[in-house]
Formats: sequence, C-alpha cells, structure tokens
Amino acid sequence: MIRQAAQLARFHYAVKLSAVSSLLLVIAATVNAASEIRTGKQVYDVACVACHASGVLQAPKLGDQQDWRKREQQGFEVLLNHALKGFKNMPAKAGNPTIKDKEIENAIKYMLASSGFEQYVSKIDPDPAAKQTPGGNKSADKKPSQKIGISSVNSFNRLMKSSAEWNLPPAEDGIHDPENGGTHMLQPPKQSFESLSSSKNGNRVDWVKALENNEISPRYDRLSDDVKPIVMDLNIVREVKGSMPDVVYPHKQHTEWLDCSNCHPAIFIPQKGANQISMAAILLGQKCGVCHGKVAFPVSECRRCHSKEKPLKAATENKQAD
Amino acid sequence: MSNITKNSLKILFAMLLIAPSMPQAEYGDVLINNYSEAAGMRPVVFPHWFHRIRFRCKVCHADLGFQMKAGGNQINMLKIIDGEYCGACHNGEVAWSVESCDLCHSGMPGQPTQVHQSTASKLATGSKKKKAEAE
Repeated sequence: MIRQAAQLARFHYAVKLSAVSSLLLVIAATVNAASEIRTGKQVYDVACVACHASGVLQAPKLGDQQDWRKREQQGFEVLLNHALKGFKNMPAKAGNPTIKDKEIENAIKYMLASSGFEQYVSKIDPDPAAKQTPGGNKSADKKPSQKIGISSVNSFNRLMKSSAEWNLPPAEDGIHDPENGGTHMLQPPKQSFESLSSSKNGNRVDWVKALENNEISPRYDRLSDDVKPIVMDLNIVREVKGSMPDVVYPHKQHTEWLDCSNCHPAIFIPQKGANQISMAAILLGQKCGVCHGKVAFPVSECRRCHSKEKPLKAATENKQAD
Repeated sequence: MSNITKNSLKILFAMLLIAPSMPQAEYGDVLINNYSEAAGMRPVVFPHWFHRIRFRCKVCHADLGFQMKAGGNQINMLKIIDGEYCGACHNGEVAWSVESCDLCHSGMPGQPTQVHQSTASKLATGSKKKKAEAE
C-alpha cells in the first residue's frame, strides 16, 4: 500500500516535473534574452499567455475583472512579489528567470489594465516614446488601453500565424538548435521565397506557378541542367459524391515534378475506377495525402482540386433558366 | 493527491494548447532522428523547400530511391559516404560533402522523426487534446 502510494507520488512528481520542464523549454525557446526592457504586452505574449489567456491552474484570466479583483485588492506589491517569487501554481517569473523584474511588473500592469482596472491604464507604457511625456497624454492614453483590452481578448485570427511568423530563419524556427554553429549558416527561407509566386498555405509559395513562370529551374537530373522532364498532358476527372465540384487531376503539373513511378502503381493503380480515394485517407497522409498536406499544397485549398462544377448543377440551372 | 493529479493534467493540457503552435518550422521540413541522437549527434533537419528549388521531386524520389515517408529510408553515414541517398549529391561535387556535419545535424535534441507542419500531425495533436479534455 505504502509502496503503491510512493510509486504514485513518484509518478505524479515525474509528470509534473516533465510538464514543468517542457513548459520551461517552450518558454525559453520563445523568449529571447533581449537586452531592452520589453513592454507588458510583449512579455505577456511570450510568457504569461500560456496560462493567463485560458485561465488554467486557477490563473486569473486576461480580460476577466472578477478573476483579478481579489488579487488586485491585495495591492500591486503583493501581486508583483508573487509573480517574481512564485505563488501556488504560479511559477517564479512564469518559469523563466531571464525575464527582468521590470518586465514582470510591466506584464502585470498590462494584464490589470486589460482586465478593466482603469487605474493601471496610464501606468502601462506602450512604447518608450510615450514614457518621455508622462501625464501629458492622459486622456489620449485611455482610448488605446481599451483597444488593448478588446484586441487581446477578441482578436481576429487568434489561432492563425501572423505574417511575422511565416518562413522564420532556421535559428528561430523551434526545430533547429540555435546553439549549433551550422544552424546559422543555413539559408533563411524568406530570402529565397521573396522572388517567388506566393500562396496562402504551406511554404506560402505557389510552387507550380513558380515553375511555370521560370522563377525557379530545378534540375530533372542529378547532374545536368539540360535534361528536360517527360511531361504528360492528360486530365483525369473524378466524379465525387455530394455537392463538391468534381476533381480534375492534371498529369501535366505533376509530371513536371515527378516520375510516373512515384505514384504508379504503389499509390495509384493506373486503371480507371481502381482507386478508392477519400478525404479521410488524404488527411491521414495516404493517396494524394502522401504529398498534399506535407510538401505540396494542403487540403485546405479545396478548389484547386475540386475545380469542375457538376454537370448536374449546370443542367438544373439551365432548366430554371428555361 | 487528486489535486496534484488534476494539476499535472491541467499543466499537460496547457502544454498541449501551446505546444502545437510552438515549432514554427518550414512546411515540409523533415526531422530525422532514426539513429542520430543514439549516436551522440543532433538529429537531422531536411528542408524540402531548399531542395525543391534546385531539384524536382523525381531526382531524389525516383532516381535516388528515397521513400516518401519520414524516417523510412534507414539512412546512415556509411551509406552516404558510399554515395547512396544524400551522398549521391553531398559528395563535395554537386553539393558540400559530409565533412560539414553540423549543417545537416542541426536539429534541437530530443525531437522525434516527423514531417513538420503536416496536416496529419496537426490532426493527431487534435485527438490528443480531446483525450486530455475527456480525462
């Protein structure tokens, strides 16, 4: 019984430790040891957001005045002390010792100001320029602060990557080790992509267009620039169930890049009606999903494949017109 | 005790919420950690985007025999030095040679083999989230 309990306790400890250490890793990766004092919002966005956005672990939620009221009543000093040294589930400095004391202070003020405590609105400094003229723009301060509150809670595309997060250089992408010397010699993707046709997904590059417009000229042969691809211009129309437009599969764009043997016969049997393809299979990385959703454009671009309006629909429209 | 369990679960849940958005790797970056870390090296990062600007898929996936599956090729340094797989180009003639270890072995330690930013991996994280919620 005792042994069981000890094991259980050890397990919980291990779980907690691993969770906390990975939390630290996550935070350490996002927070750079910047030499400047960051604003409250900047610190919030990289550290506090992990718990204070959703309110897990009894963390007071940003924008929820009820949550914050009791804490605020204890006085700012107590709040600051708890945040700096840790309190209950709140790890000291959000688990990141590289955050400066002043930055923690800024972050608390930012969270209070964004949660309806007007008295903190004038205390947050959105940018260093505003610092130079304290008091001078008190009334002007009020409006932006309300905006901060609203924008951080109800911001648009909250779960989508902002354009600043696309095509990060290797040292910042979270999978390369910035401590590895070679990482810094690798070419940043943005540098290459600037001159290429853009798209809304994947690498944010339209690779088919880039090839068509001769923006890139990838080799078809390992050693020679002169070998031309064997292109086959044949469209296969696949009628699909439901209301989605039928799929037009163009051999042309695929054979520009690939060899027949890449798809046939292992992935697609080269015979009409012999292949069962479903979106579920594709989403799981089978059939078209072997490439689409990994290196070729993802399935969120529905209409690039489902591009042929159903004849049935056209027929009914004609009837209506008659 | 149940409180500790709850809390650790909640931490895990919070992790899941922020973890998927964490790596901002380029679409199609393949992390290969079949043997690297066990052999004391950083895992390999293969950037699809960089290679497809220079070569069509066919060169590697038909001519050189790369399977279209992350970690599915059992590549080791011996094969590369013998001119197979990466070694067909990374030989000091077409591209820089194997001496530049840290250009390939540049991944953060502790990561599993996977294609980054893939649709399937995003779906898998979703199901984990649901599991955590159910518990």
